[in-house]
Amino acid sequence: MAMMTFAAIDIGAYEVSMKIFELSRKVGFKELNDVRYRLEVGNDSYTRGKLSPEMVDYLCEILTDFKRMMLEFGVTEYRACATSAFRELKNPLIVLEQIYRRTEIRVEILSNAEQHFIGYKSIAAIENGFKKMIQKGTAILDVGGGSLQVSLFDKDALVTTQNLKMGSLRIRERLKELEKTTIHYDQLVEEFIRNDLVSFQRLYLKDRDVKNVILMGDFLTDTIFQEDMEDRILTKAEFLNRYENTAYKPVQQLSDEMGIDPEYASLVVPTMVIIKNFIDIFNAESLWAPGVSLLDGIAYDFAERKKYLKSAHNFENDILVASRNIAKRYSSGKNHIQGTTEVALAIFDSTKKVHGMGQRERLLLQIAVQLHDCGKYINMGDVSECSYQIIMETEIIGLSTEERYIIANAVRYNKEEFKYRSGFEYDDAMDNEKYLLIAKLAAILRLANAMDRSHYQKVEGIKTELKDRKLSMILDSNRDLSLELGLLKDKVDFFEEVFGIRLALRRKKKA
Amino acid sequence: MDPKEYKEFEKPEYFVNRELSWLKFDARVLSEARDKSLPLFERLKFLSITSSNLDEFYMVRVASLKDQVHAGYAKEDIAGMTAKEQLKKISIETHELVQTQYSTLNRSLLPALEKAGMHFIMEHESMTEEQAAFVDRYFEDEVYPVLTPMAMDSSRPFPLIRNKSLNIGALISKKDKKKGKEKDKEKDKVVFATVQVPSVLPRVIVVPSAKEGETTVILLEEIIRRNIGKLFLSYEVVCADAYRIMRNADLTIDEDEAEDLLVEIQKQLKKRQWGEVIRLEAAEKMDPRLLSILKEEFAIKDEDIFFIPGPLDLTLLMKVYGQEGYDQYKEPKYTPAPVPAFQNDKNIFEVIREGDVFLHHPYMSFDPVVNFIRQSAKDPDVLAIKQTLYRVSGNSPIIAALAQAAENGKQVSVLVELKARFDEENNIVWAKMLEKAGCHVIYGLVGLKTHSKITLVVRREDTGIRRYVHLATGNYNDSTAKLYTDCGIFTCDERIGEDATAVFNMLSGYSEPKHWNKLIVAPIWMKNRFLMLIDREAENAKKGIPSSITAKMNSLCDPLIIAALYHASSCGVKINLLVRGICCLKVGIPGVSENIHVRSIVGNFLEHGRIFHFENGGGDEFYMGSADWMPRNLDRRVEIVFPVEDDRIREELRHILDLEFKDNVKAHILQPDGTYEKQDKRGKVLINSQMEFCREATEKAMKHEQKIENSRVFIPAEPVE
Repeated sequence: MAMMTFAAIDIGAYEVSMKIFELSRKVGFKELNDVRYRLEVGNDSYTRGKLSPEMVDYLCEILTDFKRMMLEFGVTEYRACATSAFRELKNPLIVLEQIYRRTEIRVEILSNAEQHFIGYKSIAAIENGFKKMIQKGTAILDVGGGSLQVSLFDKDALVTTQNLKMGSLRIRERLKELEKTTIHYDQLVEEFIRNDLVSFQRLYLKDRDVKNVILMGDFLTDTIFQEDMEDRILTKAEFLNRYENTAYKPVQQLSDEMGIDPEYASLVVPTMVIIKNFIDIFNAESLWAPGVSLLDGIAYDFAERKKYLKSAHNFENDILVASRNIAKRYSSGKNHIQGTTEVALAIFDSTKKVHGMGQRERLLLQIAVQLHDCGKYINMGDVSECSYQIIMETEIIGLSTEERYIIANAVRYNKEEFKYRSGFEYDDAMDNEKYLLIAKLAAILRLANAMDRSHYQKVEGIKTELKDRKLSMILDSNRDLSLELGLLKDKVDFFEEVFGIRLALRRKKKA
Repeated sequence: MDPKEYKEFEKPEYFVNRELSWLKFDARVLSEARDKSLPLFERLKFLSITSSNLDEFYMVRVASLKDQVHAGYAKEDIAGMTAKEQLKKISIETHELVQTQYSTLNRSLLPALEKAGMHFIMEHESMTEEQAAFVDRYFEDEVYPVLTPMAMDSSRPFPLIRNKSLNIGALISKKDKKKGKEKDKEKDKVVFATVQVPSVLPRVIVVPSAKEGETTVILLEEIIRRNIGKLFLSYEVVCADAYRIMRNADLTIDEDEAEDLLVEIQKQLKKRQWGEVIRLEAAEKMDPRLLSILKEEFAIKDEDIFFIPGPLDLTLLMKVYGQEGYDQYKEPKYTPAPVPAFQNDKNIFEVIREGDVFLHHPYMSFDPVVNFIRQSAKDPDVLAIKQTLYRVSGNSPIIAALAQAAENGKQVSVLVELKARFDEENNIVWAKMLEKAGCHVIYGLVGLKTHSKITLVVRREDTGIRRYVHLATGNYNDSTAKLYTDCGIFTCDERIGEDATAVFNMLSGYSEPKHWNKLIVAPIWMKNRFLMLIDREAENAKKGIPSSITAKMNSLCDPLIIAALYHASSCGVKINLLVRGICCLKVGIPGVSENIHVRSIVGNFLEHGRIFHFENGGGDEFYMGSADWMPRNLDRRVEIVFPVEDDRIREELRHILDLEFKDNVKAHILQPDGTYEKQDKRGKVLINSQMEFCREATEKAMKHEQKIENSRVFIPAEPVE
C-alpha cells in the first residue's frame, strides 16, 4: 500500500498522548493529529504502586476516545506504549488486560532502555542537526515525569546511557511537603538531586567532553523553551537567562505567562533545575531542543521497520557499540569476541533457510557473542551464571527486557547444560517461542565460541556451504586446530539437534 | 500596547449601558413597524418581533439584574450604573417602548388592517348576532373542555400562574339566593378567580364576516371573557380582564454576567427568589380591585406593571401574518439563489478542491451545507464527520444526514450545545436521537458555551488524508438560514484542516494544540488577537501609514475592545462599524471617538454575520467568524474567527461591507447623543443593501445557468456501419 495511517500512543507519567501519522514512501511521515490529556498516572503509581479504580476509568475513557480518533483517520496500525508510570506498578499485567478488555487497545510497557532508544530515534530522524552534533561530544537529556535518561555520544556513536530516578513529577511529589518550608524552591530541588548527579559525574564523565546537550522530553520541555528559540538552539548564557526568569516565579504566574495548565506549570521549575545542573556538570556550550517526543520516535521506528523511510542513522550500530562498551567494562577479550563474532555470523548467514531467524535475531546473536564471557570479571569459576546476572542487570539501549532475557539465557547455555522444556511447564518469563530462540542462539554461540577455544583466533577465514542437510565449513588456518576440533563434538551434536543439520569441518591450509 | 494603557479610555462616561442600548435596538425594530413605506403585514411582523424580543429581554436580562440586586451586588457596569439604577431606567424606557408599540397598533396598524379588509373584534359586545352565536358555539365545543378555572378563597390559596402564560382574572360573587342583610354581606364578598387562556388553541379565530370579502377575527381571550360566566355558574362575574406575568424562573444564570458576579450569585443562591414575578402586564381597563389582588399576590412594584391598551402579548400578530391571502400586503417571498460554484454535476469535494467556496445566506441557498453532510454520509471515501451544533431547526435535514452517516459506518462526532438558551430541551431530544443512531455526541466544556460553527469531514484520497472544512458565522439551521444574513466558506486548506482537528480535540476535553495555524479561537486566544489587530492599526496611523478598521457584528460591548477602538480612533484610525444590536460605544466624543462611525441595519432579514477588516498598511486582512465583540463571546465561549485569504472571497467581503455602508434605506446611524437616526434620503438613489444582495445573488445564479446552456455542444452522431 502506498499510504497508510498509523497511531502512536504514549501513557506517560503526567499525560496521555497520541499522534496520528500518515506514512508513505513519497513523503515519509506527516502528522495528522496531536492530542494530549493531562492525567497524572505517575502520581498513583509512584506513591502507591497501584492505580486507583478512578484512574483506570479515566485512562480507559481516554483510550476509547483515542480509538475513535484512530477510526476517524482510518488508522490501520498502532503502537501504544506505557513508560515509567507503568513500570513501577505492582500489577501492570492486570491493568493492561483490563485496558485491553475495555478499550481493545493493547498497551505494551516499554523498558526504560527501549523507551529512550525510541525517543532517541526521533531525534536522529531529524537528520542534519543530529549528525553534525554528535561528531562532537554530545549528551541527550531526556527529562520525563518519572525519571530522566542521559545518553552520551562521541564520534557518531552512543557511548553510555544511564537512567536516573529524577523526573519532574517524582521530584515535585517528593518535595511537596518541604516546598512550604522554603522560598527557594529551586535550591531545594537542586540539593535533592545533587547526590545522584555527583555519582554520575564521577562514574561516567571522566575525560569526557560534552559540548552540546540535546533536550528531549515531552510537551512540557517543548513549551518551556518555545518562545526563546527560533532555531531551537539556546546558548548556555541564553539558557541561564531564561532560568533566572523562571525559577523564582510562583506556579500561577508561570501558568499565566506560558499559557499552560497550572498542573503542568508546577513541573516547570523541577525540569529547569535538572537541566541547569546537567549543563553545569557537563560544562556544555549549547542546548538543542528539537521538539520531538516519544510519539515521533514510535512512528519513526514503525516507519523504518515497514520501510516507509530509510534510516538516517545506523541505530543497530548504536546498540552494538553500547554492548561493546559493556564488554569492555568487564574486560572481555576484544580479539576473541571479534573472532567468535565472525564465525557466529558466518554460520547464521549460511543457515538462514534452516533457522528462519531474521535481522533482529542476528543482532541479538552479535550481542550475545559480545557479552558471552563478561562474567569472568566477577568469578572465573562461574562464568555462565555471572554473565547471565550481569546482562540481566545492565541496561542496553535499544533492547527490550525480553530481548535482554533471551541474550542472557543464550549466554548462560553457552556453557551450562541446556535445560529442556516440554512446552507444558509454567515459567514466569519463558514461553515456547523465547525458549526456541534461546536454543537456536545458544547452539550457534556454542559452536562459534568453541572454534576459538584457545582465544588465539587461529581461524583466519571461513567458508560455509549448506547442501542438503549438511553444512560444510572450510576453515582457513595454518595453525593446529586440534584443541578446537577435539572439543567440538558435543557442540556439533547440539547444533544438529536444534537445526537438524550435520556439520562437517575441514581445515584448509593457506598457501 | 499594554491593555493597562487603555485606562484613560475606560471612563464610564464613554460607555452606554448595554441594556439601554438593547432597548434602542428594539426601538429600531419598532420603527420598522411604523414605517409606512413597508407592506402592512411586514409591519405586523416587526411589531410582533419587538414583543417577543422584549419578553426574552425580561426573562434573561432583567431577571439577571434583579438577581444582582438580591445578591447585594453593588458593582457598577461599564457605564457606571448599578443594577438598581439600570432597572429604574429600564422600567422608564420599556414603558415608553410599550406605549409606542400599542399606539402603533391602535392608531396605525389596526386602521390599516381595517382598510385592507381585516376586521379585528376588540370587544365582544360589538359582534353581530351571527358572530356572537358562532363564538359561543366555538366556546362550548372547543374552548370550554380545556379550561381550568381556579378560585381563591380562605380554603384555597392563590393558584400558581405559569410564566409567560396569558390569563383572565376575574372577581366573582355569589348569586343572591339568600335574603336581606345576609344577602348583601355575601354579595359584597368578592372572590378572585383566574383561568389560563389555553395555549393549545389558536389565539386568533376567524369568525363569519358581516361584509363579503372581509376577514373578521377575534382573539381567544375575548371569547373566554365573553363566556366567563359559564365557568362560575353559581357566581356573578364582577369583572374579568386579561393579565400576563413574567417570572425570574430561569434556572441558569445568564452567562453574560461577569465571573465575580456569577460566584457571588452562586454563593447566595438560596437568597434567589425562585419564580419571583418581575413583570405584570394587565389590561388597561382592569378593575382596580382585581389589580390590587394581583399586585399583592405577585408582590410586584408599580414600576414593573404595564397597563396594556390592547391585546396582551403581541406575538399574536405573527399568526395574523400567517393568514391566507393578503399577499399584496407582504414582501414577495425571496427564494435563495443557487450557489454558482455548485451549479454543476461535480461532486462537492471536487469543487472544494478547485478552490475555497464562499456562501452568503440567505441570498444564496443553504443547500450546499446540507449537501456537504449528505454527500459525506454517502461517500465511500469519507472516514469521519465532525460538527458543532448550537441551534438546529425542528426537522433538521442536517441531523438526519448525520444520523445516516453514522448508520453508514462513518465516524460521526457531534458537539451539541445544551446551554443554547431556550433550546436546551429541544437539544437534549435530538442529541439522544443522534446517540441512538451511533453518533458520538459530546456536550461541550463545563462553563463554556460552544458557539463556534464548524464542520470537518475527513476523507481518504489517493494522495492521502484530506480534510474538508466548513466554517461559518451562523448556526447549522436550515430554517434560520433563510432569515438570517450569514457567511460561510468551504475549504480544504491543510492548515485549517489541522486546526479543525485541534478544535474538536479541545472540545472533547483534550489539551489545546501547541499553536494554531490559522484559526483564532476563543476564549483564550481571541481577545488578545483582536486587541493586537486594532492596536496595529493605531500604530500605523501614528506613523502615517494608511489605516482603517471596518467591522460588522451583532453586538459590541467588550470594554477593553471599545477602549482599544477609542485609542485607535484617537490615533487617527478610521473606524466603520456595522453593529446591529447592542452597542456600548459612543461616537463623536472629542479626542476619543471622532473617527468612529456606527450604523445598524434592521431589515427584513436579521443581520447576523461577523466580518472584520483591518487595512494593515495595505496588506488587508479579512476575518469572519462566530464571535461578537462581547465579553461573553471573547471570554466565556468557544468561538472561532478565521482569516479569509482567497482573493475572490476577500473581494466579496469587501463588497458586502461597502454596500452595507451605502445602505440609506435600512441603516440607522448612531448619533453622538446616543440616538439612532435614519439618513436623509432626499435626492439620493435609494439603496437597500438586503434587496441589492438578493438581486445580485439571483443574477449571478442566472448568468451561470445561461453560461452552461450557451456552452452546450451538440455532438453529431456517428454513422452506423
